[in-house]
Amino acid sequence: MEENKKSERKRKRFSARLYSSKGIVCSNTPGPKIVLCNAGQATGLEKDNIYNVIKEQRLDIPLPKFIAEKGESHSFLVFDATESAVLFFNICNGKVKIGENGTPLYLNFVEEVPSTEMICSLDNPKGLLLLNNFITIDEEASFLKLFNWNPESSNLKHRQVKHYGFEFRYGSNDVDLSSPLKEKIPKECDVLWQRLKEHGFNLGTPDQLTINKYSPGHGIPAHVDKHSPFEDTILSLSLGSDVVMDWRHHSGKYVPVLVQSRSLLVMQDEARYDWQHGIQPRTYDPVIEHRRSDDSKNTIRVITSDTTPRQTRVSLTFRWTRTGPCECKYKTLCDTVKNVSTDNLEDEIASNLEELHVHQVYEQIAGHFSTTRHKPWPKVVQFMEGVPAGSVVLDLGCGNGKNILRRNDIVQIACERSTGLLAECKEHILGVSGADCLRLDLLRVPLRNQGADVVICIAVIHHFSSKARRLQAISNIHQLLRNGGRALITVWAKDQTKSNYLCKNKLNQYTETSETQVSVGGVHLPVHENRTQFKHKDLLVPWKLRKVNNNKLENKPEDTLLRYYHVFEENELDQLCKEANFVIENSFYEEGNWCVVCKKK
Amino acid sequence: MLTSKCLKGVMTGYPLAINATNIKVTEVDFNPEFITRVIPKLDWEVLWTAANSIGHGEGLPKILEPKYEDNEELLKKVHRVLLEVEIEEGNLTCPESGRQFPISKGIPNMLLTEAEVQ
Repeated sequence: MEENKKSERKRKRFSARLYSSKGIVCSNTPGPKIVLCNAGQATGLEKDNIYNVIKEQRLDIPLPKFIAEKGESHSFLVFDATESAVLFFNICNGKVKIGENGTPLYLNFVEEVPSTEMICSLDNPKGLLLLNNFITIDEEASFLKLFNWNPESSNLKHRQVKHYGFEFRYGSNDVDLSSPLKEKIPKECDVLWQRLKEHGFNLGTPDQLTINKYSPGHGIPAHVDKHSPFEDTILSLSLGSDVVMDWRHHSGKYVPVLVQSRSLLVMQDEARYDWQHGIQPRTYDPVIEHRRSDDSKNTIRVITSDTTPRQTRVSLTFRWTRTGPCECKYKTLCDTVKNVSTDNLEDEIASNLEELHVHQVYEQIAGHFSTTRHKPWPKVVQFMEGVPAGSVVLDLGCGNGKNILRRNDIVQIACERSTGLLAECKEHILGVSGADCLRLDLLRVPLRNQGADVVICIAVIHHFSSKARRLQAISNIHQLLRNGGRALITVWAKDQTKSNYLCKNKLNQYTETSETQVSVGGVHLPVHENRTQFKHKDLLVPWKLRKVNNNKLENKPEDTLLRYYHVFEENELDQLCKEANFVIENSFYEEGNWCVVCKKK
Repeated sequence: MLTSKCLKGVMTGYPLAINATNIKVTEVDFNPEFITRVIPKLDWEVLWTAANSIGHGEGLPKILEPKYEDNEELLKKVHRVLLEVEIEEGNLTCPESGRQFPISKGIPNMLLTEAEVQ
């Protein structure tokens, strides 16, 4: 009895706390919706934990929908009916523990749960066609048997691959037409071309096949199939498991597409040439529903908060090889566009490049990035400590806000483009009076001119991909400052010899392997080997994404994303600042970065 | 400080109108010296209008009297409006074009699309 009272008191206390801090209204009347007061995404709770409880307790109820918002230590369950919810409530509340050292779960009924559904109003990329049920279940089984190779024979980091016709070379993303493979595309595939004809695609027979085997949790980074080595059409047959494939366009468009097993995906036109596609490395996929809109004229794509587990998926990618320059009309991702230098990169291309290789990357790596950026650089702290009381300071490109000092005598406005980083920043500046967050783009600053006494812009300008844009950013900083105002600007230096960045083991290592290149808008961007001296001024730096679980980083990287950098020569930053009418007060090299303190006359 | 001047066809885009659907008030330590230093940097009329539009203007004079540095009561009111009252959810509206900028989780989103800029 005493136990019951205690547990009841605890439950009520949680209910009051949820109301005061999160505005969640708990209800005394049972209903199908339940809030788990003390377990959520932030405490490491996963859908499986809940399902295991239901299994262990032998509850004969349909599985509830699980809603866990990012960063919250509570979560919600939506049952099919009140009876199921009551059964679960009575068995779990104050009793069931989750995890090894878990405390008992406390539950409350709620009237409303947050909607974490996202509506994607975009259609599939143009030229992307999904032919569902393209093969029968029996055919799928025999294909899986046919392509069930020895797992040790060929391996990429996150998936297993095998090639027919020609070997796909991963460094250069093409094939060597002069050395065809002995193994041709098996004749068992011929049925596919016949069936494609029936669908109105008279494409002939492809001559190159790559098979990928993805275990649950494996994925493939966003990419476009290189233009010049392959023809207009690329086919992908899916076996074994449904998967959600993400499609990203340089205009910022993002479309998740459900690719069912036994479907054939036909990529042509924009989908083939102008969009990147990839698969996120995770064991679950969100359930995507196509619902009728209110006027029931159109269907809309809804990314629900529900998820479904992945199985092992085998994909067969068929391509037609070709020679000569690519003749597509899409510039941004083409490898054949005239080679240009980034100094005079067209603004539209530069903007597309930054969208793909700066903005989208930061959104994806925000959580992991933030855990690796704790300490502000000593020189930045020194500068910020010297800011006179009463000053208005702008931190442009604040990241997770590590450079915001815990001072209560200045105004600090942390500005950033990435929403993921801003969310981290907002948490970081909690309790710092006079500090605020703002989402903006440094090229189009929504702040009044001459309103700032001080600007800091730390490790930002090197992400702009043309000289015009770098100068524009610095000119904007100049405009924001009052006369006599000062700015601290730092960028990554090309010369890394006097920094800790270089890995000693790699110092004298000459890698003979041909450099991987990615081309965007005719700029061939080499992919940098981390911890080595920079050989180029414009390049892509790999970020090995690792998951953050319970505030700890997981050991294995799960994805590699490429961030664009323009690394600066000595005096290059000084020159830009002078062009923007700044007077340079101090210019120095610090730990691999060029830094400038400058003043508006 | 915010403006929508980067919007196509907008001249000054200032001041933005505020519409708040959720306001959070958190107490923070009062630092009279800091407030005294910040006041001259403020556009007083805009602050007054903004504070009133979200229902937190009570006690703020429409016109700032000189010698405000000795008026602790006034400094405390400014402190409250500037540092303690935060708009969690709502939006900002451009006075010229009517374009709205959402405020979500306390962060105004001032990002523009390519088609919107001059």
